[in-house]
Amino acid sequence: MLSRRALVSGLAAASVTTSCRSDDAPKGRRVASLWFTYGGKNREVLEKLVRRFNTSQNAHFIRAVFQGDYFEGLAKLRTAIAARAAPALSHVVGEVVPYLAEAGVLEPMDRYPGFGELDIIPELGQAKSWIAGDQRPTVALPFNRSTPICYLNGKLFEQAGLKAPTTWNELREVARALTVRDGARAKRYGFCCPVNWWFWVALLQQAGGEVVEPDGRITLGGEAGVRATEFWQTLVNVDRTMKPPPGRDYNAWEATNQDYLAGRAAMIWTSTAFLRYLEDNAEFKVVAAPLPRDARYAVPTGGTHWVLLKSAAPEEKASAWEFLRFMHEPEQVIDWATQTGYMPVTRAAVKRLESSGYYAKHPNDRVAYDQLAVARPWPWSKELFRIQRETVQPRLESAVLSGKNARALLAEARERLQGNR
Amino acid sequence: MRPRSALEPYVLMAPTALLLAVFFFYPLGFAAHQSLYEWDLLTPPRYVGLDNYRELWASGELYRAFTTTFVFSVVVVAGSMLLGLGLALGLDRPGSFASFVRGAVFSAYVVSWVSVALLWLWLLDADAGAFTRLVRALGGPAIDWLGDPAYALYALAGVTIWKLAGYAMVLFIAGLQEIPKVLHEAAALDGANAIRRFTHVTWPLLRPTAAFVGTTSLIASFQVFDVVRVMTQGGPVQATTVFVYAIYEQVFLDLRVGRASSMVVVFFVLLLALTLLQLWVWQRKRGV
Repeated sequence: MLSRRALVSGLAAASVTTSCRSDDAPKGRRVASLWFTYGGKNREVLEKLVRRFNTSQNAHFIRAVFQGDYFEGLAKLRTAIAARAAPALSHVVGEVVPYLAEAGVLEPMDRYPGFGELDIIPELGQAKSWIAGDQRPTVALPFNRSTPICYLNGKLFEQAGLKAPTTWNELREVARALTVRDGARAKRYGFCCPVNWWFWVALLQQAGGEVVEPDGRITLGGEAGVRATEFWQTLVNVDRTMKPPPGRDYNAWEATNQDYLAGRAAMIWTSTAFLRYLEDNAEFKVVAAPLPRDARYAVPTGGTHWVLLKSAAPEEKASAWEFLRFMHEPEQVIDWATQTGYMPVTRAAVKRLESSGYYAKHPNDRVAYDQLAVARPWPWSKELFRIQRETVQPRLESAVLSGKNARALLAEARERLQGNR
Repeated sequence: MRPRSALEPYVLMAPTALLLAVFFFYPLGFAAHQSLYEWDLLTPPRYVGLDNYRELWASGELYRAFTTTFVFSVVVVAGSMLLGLGLALGLDRPGSFASFVRGAVFSAYVVSWVSVALLWLWLLDADAGAFTRLVRALGGPAIDWLGDPAYALYALAGVTIWKLAGYAMVLFIAGLQEIPKVLHEAAALDGANAIRRFTHVTWPLLRPTAAFVGTTSLIASFQVFDVVRVMTQGGPVQATTVFVYAIYEQVFLDLRVGRASSMVVVFFVLLLALTLLQLWVWQRKRGV
């Protein structure tokens, strides 16, 4: 009878062989696999940087393998870890870093050569991405980091003589002013935002709350959580100025982008990750703006972090580490950030962008970086991604799309979380 | 025909039995075993007995996934059978036009689920979709087919019916062509009109075909995944979280192998029970 390990090994092997290899290694190099989860433009940029690393020296070779979207990639990574066939290097969303770290599968990187010279912006690295992140062994390095930002259709805003909203009330007014109706139907929505946990956390934090209190209690923001949810309900069901896009997860994000590009939404909230894509494809001027405030300005950070897998062979991890050092050099950080829209993750890169006049020419690129001043750290919770997926997300949709009572739904969510194993 | 040796039947069955054992019985047994554990593939599995089943029941997830899948299946089975039968009756005739239409209708069945889902995702877009615009142009309401929890499941059912109707049509045409013409002629001579010929000659003789179409459509509709994954991802408000998609979410997104396995076991039992029930009903009717 097949053992469990044999079964998962088979699955992992199958997943690897069905994935796309980017290159074959020249002889004499130490090879390390990198599993990544980008398509489109971001994939092109990453593969270009991998090729640059592979040609920049003769000792190491990074084999980049595409593994589907974030969650498909994570599922494959878990299977491969269980089968002891994991790559040396991958990148994962912030929410699952504590989960993987607590499972003991991530390699601490503090003692690798040159770790102290990486010059990472603390808000984007482990130190300040998580509460007390600097008091734990470093298992995550920032890669494609983002915050939610507001994208305005410059042409429509100019025609209407409007400015980017700086408060929730202004957002309501601007959305109302830019919504165009055709009977009961909106021909154009003033505002569009995925009904998604990340943006809800932004609202909740702006309303003055936190998902998890400093003492570890999961409150989902308490009153601030209710206020955040009710704000969406007002925009969608009362003002009818916000379009909740169809689909879930990244499908809803893509639908939001398409509505914006087609002029069906005058203002959207989405990730800074789409900055270059939207600028390249919009037939109008794209204007990026920080998110507005309620009780305070606040945003969560997002995106993924590099992780080294503990189970990989030491020489593979060493090669992967050299690649990480290379990726944190200003040239690579700048190329990645300016060609995708993600934030530059080292201070040296930001300084160089400032001194070269890049930010003066591309003010949109600066918005997310400036928002870091009000970025809130995530709790170091291994259950966070389950809180998000299983408990909060379905209730957000229920509140906004079905008009159910926000307070009751969040109370029910807290009760469920307290009783959950 | 008598076997040449006592072993011969077993040898002949061996390839199928082996395939079933490797790809069906072993995974099912493995899932049943895993359903008694809490396991995330990373940390060691922890024995939890029947807790996964209790949690499925207590959280309402089992009920929600079952009712969603059941409603979807009822609509799909009824819709695809009715449409397939109607098309078969209309197109069971000679001529190149009927042949062309038969081919066109069946072509939807051979197109991949993902392609069909992408096509309809575009057609049903709330703003720019051709289908949505057609409905509005005809004076119908502006419906967000995939974004409104009240319509999304039926929209997916409609897409599935569109795809499966060609399959049902081909089987019904085959069934119709098996019916001796002499029976229709005799009924016509006895004065039976078209409706009575259908209810007293065609339909009773089509029942075995209908049973087959119904059972296979039921199984296909219970196993629906691709259209959900591509078009709605289980939303909005879990309105389209059918059983297989719920299992996918548990194992790949929520990283709960044990709970996903318990859903697999429940799903298998449900599907088996429904298939047996349906076969029993049809056989009983045929017996009458």
